[in-house]
Amino acid sequence: MKLLEMHGIYKSFCGVPVLEDVPLSVKRGEVHALLGENGAGKSTLMNILTGVHSRDEGTIYFDGEDCQHMTVTQAEKLGIAFVHQELNLFEDLTVWENIFLTREYTKAFGRVDKKRMVEQAQAFFTRMGVHLDPLALVGDLKISEKQLLEIAKALFFQAKLLILDEPTTSLSQNEIAHLFDMIGRLKEKGISFLFISHKMPEIFQIADRYTVLRNGKFVRTGEISEITPDEITALMVGKSGLTNDIYRPRPTGETVLKLEHWSGDGFADVDLEVKRGQIIALTGLQGSGSGEVLQSIFGCRAVDGGTMEVFGKQVQPGSIHRAMRAKIAMLPGDRKENSVVPDMNLLENMYLAEHTLSLGDFCIHKRLENQRFDHYRELLHIRMNQPADSILSLSGGNQQKVFLARWLNTNAELLLLDNPTQGIDVGAKAEIYELMLELAASGKTILLSTQEIPEIYKTADACAVFYNGRLMKILAHDEVDEETVMRYATNANEVS
Amino acid sequence: MSKQNRLSPSKLLAQYHYVVVFLVVFAVYAAASSSLTWNGMMNIFRHSAVIGILGLGMGLICLTGEIDLSVGSMLALLSGFSVVVFNLTDSIAVTLLFAVVCGALLGLLNGFLVGVAEMPAFIVTLATMLIYRSIAQYACQNLDKELIGGGSSVYRMITDHNSYQSFYQLGNGRLLTIPVVGIILTVMTLVLVYVTTSTKYGKKLYAVGSNQKAARLAGISVSKIKLSAFVLTGMLAGLGAFLWIVMNASADPATTGNSYEMYAIAAAVLGGISMSGGRGRCLGVLFGAMSYTVIDKIIVALKMDSLINDAIKGVILLLVIFIQVAGPRMRSRLHGKKSV
Repeated sequence: MKLLEMHGIYKSFCGVPVLEDVPLSVKRGEVHALLGENGAGKSTLMNILTGVHSRDEGTIYFDGEDCQHMTVTQAEKLGIAFVHQELNLFEDLTVWENIFLTREYTKAFGRVDKKRMVEQAQAFFTRMGVHLDPLALVGDLKISEKQLLEIAKALFFQAKLLILDEPTTSLSQNEIAHLFDMIGRLKEKGISFLFISHKMPEIFQIADRYTVLRNGKFVRTGEISEITPDEITALMVGKSGLTNDIYRPRPTGETVLKLEHWSGDGFADVDLEVKRGQIIALTGLQGSGSGEVLQSIFGCRAVDGGTMEVFGKQVQPGSIHRAMRAKIAMLPGDRKENSVVPDMNLLENMYLAEHTLSLGDFCIHKRLENQRFDHYRELLHIRMNQPADSILSLSGGNQQKVFLARWLNTNAELLLLDNPTQGIDVGAKAEIYELMLELAASGKTILLSTQEIPEIYKTADACAVFYNGRLMKILAHDEVDEETVMRYATNANEVS
Repeated sequence: MSKQNRLSPSKLLAQYHYVVVFLVVFAVYAAASSSLTWNGMMNIFRHSAVIGILGLGMGLICLTGEIDLSVGSMLALLSGFSVVVFNLTDSIAVTLLFAVVCGALLGLLNGFLVGVAEMPAFIVTLATMLIYRSIAQYACQNLDKELIGGGSSVYRMITDHNSYQSFYQLGNGRLLTIPVVGIILTVMTLVLVYVTTSTKYGKKLYAVGSNQKAARLAGISVSKIKLSAFVLTGMLAGLGAFLWIVMNASADPATTGNSYEMYAIAAAVLGGISMSGGRGRCLGVLFGAMSYTVIDKIIVALKMDSLINDAIKGVILLLVIFIQVAGPRMRSRLHGKKSV
């Protein structure tokens, strides 16, 4: 009898199906890897299992019990614990306070029985072989210790199934070894794990079985020992038709950007040379360093080594303004947080960056600004009514075009685009790709950080793949396909 | 331009609600006072001057999403010391210059701690509020009696000085029946309306308050903008202190500007400036400040106990904010839109 059996799970949001007929089963005492690309439906499936979302159809049996209406509290009671990627711990409380929060033992008059809780926590840690001090402040713990605490917390209240969502992203090699050690021991005690990760070496080290999802559909389940990393990558990616309809090779000019031994917060020892008119994609899994490199070039992320040359001149890192004067522009990721100025209208939003470069001229020239705005509106096909309308009245794709105009308006030559098509519908995406190609053809140089491989294939002349902060491989346009990129991005080569 | 035909009446109302608040309060005043004279109305203008000037500064700081609790104490310190400078120099120009420059320095301290050292503005200006007033009181007790005009606990201007008459004229004189200090307030409001709406600096103030991260990534130096807003507020506090002494010819360090920081915040908020930054107009502050002066007049006209004054002001502030906060929510519920 398996611990968890899910059958025929259907779920749709606003009429869009995100899970269709998905099964999942987990045996007692196994580590089960749940695999799939971003948007494959892993999180939705886990949210249904833990009662965060309700399912449209399907059955869930857990520990022999038929769970018709799963709720968060019921999932907790049954012994399903979700250890999220961002840890849900209270940094200002101690270890034991975190474990017992809302479930404190009390004495007469509601006084908290601290002694008993500390003793129990200590005894439990000893049994588990975890070296944690119940009296330590959580804020003082290392990230790996916090991860262990999160797991211990779940186990303390008799969890039978732990869902670990990319638990190793912020851990060092030693810490990962420690975590896997503990998972191994718990497995022998009959506790099961659902392990979500994109890193192939890890999966092959720790998992027993796997289930692959793609686009909300079940692809395959089986024993890890009977499959190779390449096969898994192929299953995850599918044989999606890559159409090379808009990409055309362009002549390239002089060197625009040259990075040597470029190291900093989140990346190390990156060497990269970009020529005028090129579009180079930087890719890798979340946190692999591709986006961080862009930020460091623009001066908004710490750099601790290496040199950067822009148009043959060395540029000191660490200042956005200096980068802007060196004709660098960055369209940051997470549009809502980093680009949108919600209280300003379209024109003001577009002129924000230019105003910081033309400081000497104190006044605003309304006529000229409106002319420039109309120019970009036509160039970028921005669909809008009035320049005085709120930025929030536009769709995501049109907002992004306004921000692209914000940077083109600074006469920048090197454009850094960080996930420019995030949260934008398919039609607008295609338009942005075409704009990128047009801009490159007109002599702008583009660095694109993205996780979407079709995006790379459609626009980029070359693709730099990052893994754990290091540039693993630069692929030429013709070498780019999902399998190859995934193989380098997950460092699958290391396994085979 | 095409802008006009877009503004529906409800949008106009939402944008100029501070005018509505003022008109309502003024209507109550007109009804309450037996005889409403031109002079009486112009007095509202005169009595709004100091609060209005402080409110304008507060408005700038609130636009960037910060707060300055020290403006009342700055007023006490600057007006007291300006009296001393006047007594020493017998010059209007030097006194004004001193007030503005010294105000800029006080603001610079606040601005450095908030903008550059990134300490929370509430705490920083709470501390400087205590510091500035304490210095004003201490100096008053310990300075030479000659300098503070002979009084014991009040800075008094020496009335025998040559330029005292012109000083007095400035504070109590009228130009075409309009009080000079009221004109100064209006001019300052117009200047700041221009700065905030039609200069690049003004746009940056809004951008920093609206989305600090996006502003930084657009190349704006957030710390410099915040620093400058505090310095400007200090300078406006200096001007306010100057107006205070031209009107009163003295400054009591214990009571001058007491809880004026709160009135300034209230004037800014009544004027529609959002405390979370990025939204509002400087023009509203003028009306916010005048609304508060009119409330004072109503209480006098109705012969109510002046101690109830602050309670009424507080209630009106709560009401206005309630409408500001709850209004859009109710409107969106009426339209059946999903809340964002």
